[in-house]
Amino acid sequence: MADSKDAGEEALRRLIATFQPSFLAPNPALSETSRAASRHLFSALRPFCPKSPLDQLLIDGFDAEQIWQQIDLQSQPLLSSLRRQVKHFAKNPEEISKLKVVPLGKKVEKEQREDWVEESDGFDEELEDDEEGEGKGGEEGMDIEDEDEEQGRESDNEEESEGEDEEEKGEDGEAGDGGIEDKFLKIDELAKYLEKEEENFEKAEEDTRGKKGADDEENTEDDDDDDEEEEEEEEESDEVSVLLGMLSLDLAAKMQQGTWKMQGMDLFYGVFLTLEHCGWDEQFILLLRYEDFFGDKGKYSKKMKAQLHQESEGSDEEDDDMKFKKQNKGTASTHQKQLEKIHSKIEEMEKANLEPKTWTMQGEVTAAKRPKNSALEVDLDFEHNVRPAPVITEEVTASIEDMIKKRITEGNFNDVQKAPKLPSKVPREVKELDDNKSKKGLAEIYEQEYVEKEDPTSAPLSFRDEQKQQASVLFKKLGLKLDALAHFSFAPKPVIEDMSVQINVPALAMEEIAPVAVSDAAMLAPEEVFEGKGDIKEETELTKEERKRRRANKKRRFKAAAVKRMGKKVQEGALPNQMNG
Amino acid sequence: SNMVLSSMEVEAAPEAKPLPPKPKFEPLKPHEMSDGQFQFRKVSVPQHRYNPLKKAWMDIYTPIYEQMKIDIRMNLKARKVELKTRPDTPDISNLQKCADFVHAFMMGFDVVDAIALLRLDELYVESFEIKDVKTLRGDHLSRAIGRLSGKGGKTKFAIENATKTKIVIADTKIHILGSFANIKIARDSLCSLIMGSPAGKVYSKLRAVTARLAERF
Repeated sequence: MADSKDAGEEALRRLIATFQPSFLAPNPALSETSRAASRHLFSALRPFCPKSPLDQLLIDGFDAEQIWQQIDLQSQPLLSSLRRQVKHFAKNPEEISKLKVVPLGKKVEKEQREDWVEESDGFDEELEDDEEGEGKGGEEGMDIEDEDEEQGRESDNEEESEGEDEEEKGEDGEAGDGGIEDKFLKIDELAKYLEKEEENFEKAEEDTRGKKGADDEENTEDDDDDDEEEEEEEEESDEVSVLLGMLSLDLAAKMQQGTWKMQGMDLFYGVFLTLEHCGWDEQFILLLRYEDFFGDKGKYSKKMKAQLHQESEGSDEEDDDMKFKKQNKGTASTHQKQLEKIHSKIEEMEKANLEPKTWTMQGEVTAAKRPKNSALEVDLDFEHNVRPAPVITEEVTASIEDMIKKRITEGNFNDVQKAPKLPSKVPREVKELDDNKSKKGLAEIYEQEYVEKEDPTSAPLSFRDEQKQQASVLFKKLGLKLDALAHFSFAPKPVIEDMSVQINVPALAMEEIAPVAVSDAAMLAPEEVFEGKGDIKEETELTKEERKRRRANKKRRFKAAAVKRMGKKVQEGALPNQMNG
Repeated sequence: SNMVLSSMEVEAAPEAKPLPPKPKFEPLKPHEMSDGQFQFRKVSVPQHRYNPLKKAWMDIYTPIYEQMKIDIRMNLKARKVELKTRPDTPDISNLQKCADFVHAFMMGFDVVDAIALLRLDELYVESFEIKDVKTLRGDHLSRAIGRLSGKGGKTKFAIENATKTKIVIADTKIHILGSFANIKIARDSLCSLIMGSPAGKVYSKLRAVTARLAERF
């Protein structure tokens, strides 16, 4: 135990000794020492927290966040108890003297105080003044860059220092007062202010706790949030005032000693971050000037205090508002309120329905029916069936030209290809009119005609080409011989129907033995030969009724013809009679 | 002095002699048909056909003398071609055919064309004048003649080829040689040309007609 204690103290001492900015960069060794120091401090504070569930700060394998949570677990109830005690002591100052002194080495105390000064989150300036008095001004811990270990350490130190402060207060009360008092800082004013804030905080807490008990159903979460906010604000305001005080004190100390370790921008940044951490607006921070800090003390303190008061008042007001809201909700339940809302909405809509509609909702509206220039105000939507004309830019023309070139190189023209028309009929041989003098004499022409008539095979060819003509003549001879082999009963070439006059080839031509190249394809079909209409039936096919009908028709026709004949005969008979007579 | 028969006496009919055999007569030769007299035809020769006749005389003479068996001679003084039958002329109509043949030549037809008259029976020559169709004077007449012939005679030839006829346009006279139907078609075409229709129209009509003609087989 003593060893570990020593180790912890050693770690703490080492931390103090380290160069401040080194905390900015992650350093495993440094984190180890800080962890050890935190543990030492934690265990040191353990006797003062009866409710704490942890006996020792667990650091092996724990995250910074987890360590901080552990510290928080211990410090939160401790803080509240301390506050109460401080308030109590503020009311009854004589009891301070009655306090017991905790047996701790003065050296250690001093060291701890130094540590506390390094941090910027502190509560009591008495300690600082003590340090000032001792002529400390070594390190400045203005960096509130978030290193969780540091924060943990800070809170530990805070708690420790608080405890010590109380003790010290008991020890050297008046001596401390003499040291702290500065140009612009009055201890009494500060104490009063702190008191006031704490009272408000406590009241709010009690109220909310009370409310919690009463209305658990309604907005517990909201209350919690509000409480937290209030707490935070109060804390912040507390912190701010104290911080500023600290800042000023520190700077004053520096000035006194003539050692400016922090210069220019560093100072500015330190201040800025401090204040931001406390939740101040950036703008407000920037409004602060040197005079505010080191000018008329009265001006500063009053101004700041006024600001702080406003803030606190603001928070107070907010608290009040929230309390009020909670009371209102109490009168009408949310369901009822919703119903009211809906009803009002319904009424509104019904009223709107009864009234005549706006012109935009009326369907077809002429210009006379709507107010003047009202169409300009409404965003009318037209359907444009026309694609907007393309904006011709250089890129567009370049792209088109590229496409053209590509297509030309490929040879890909979208030429319209004519659909091939199916030959419906054989193209008739168009006899061209020859307007040259015929080489043949008339006799030859008629001779040829006669021969053609007699022998169809010797038809003149309509080819112009001589060679073609000769070739076709030869083939015709060959064809004739081949056809003769088959007795001219070959199946003819499938000729496409053409509108030529069909002549009935006499059947006798087919029967002739002499090979005549006449095919019966040119013959007329039986239905073409047939003249008549309807379904011709033979005598044997007729039914009785049909036979009767036929006979009746025949008789009718015969009688009609007979009457006609009689009429004629009568006419003729009349004449000779006349002649005779 | 002979005894006058006072009474009517029936003379006894002479005894029936057997009928003489039927006389077998040879068919009359054409020469004999005309009672053994020769027949003549005289075809006058116009002046513009004089030289061509001289050139083509042998072509004319040979078929007439050899095949038609008709005597032919040229009377220079009278400027006529004379044709005479011979006793061995096979047919009476030969003379007429020869006369027509020579006449056709005189009209202006070519020998090879006119020969067709000798060979085919149904060929005729029709002649008409332009003024028969339409009264035209001066330039119009000239233009009509020009229309009939066409450029280089191509219209005339077109009609000839299409209708299987031969046409001779002699100033205002037009002669057509061919079969009856063909003459008609040619005549119609020529008349339409005289009347003023353009050659293209005539051509199209000719085409239609000839196509119809060709289908007759």
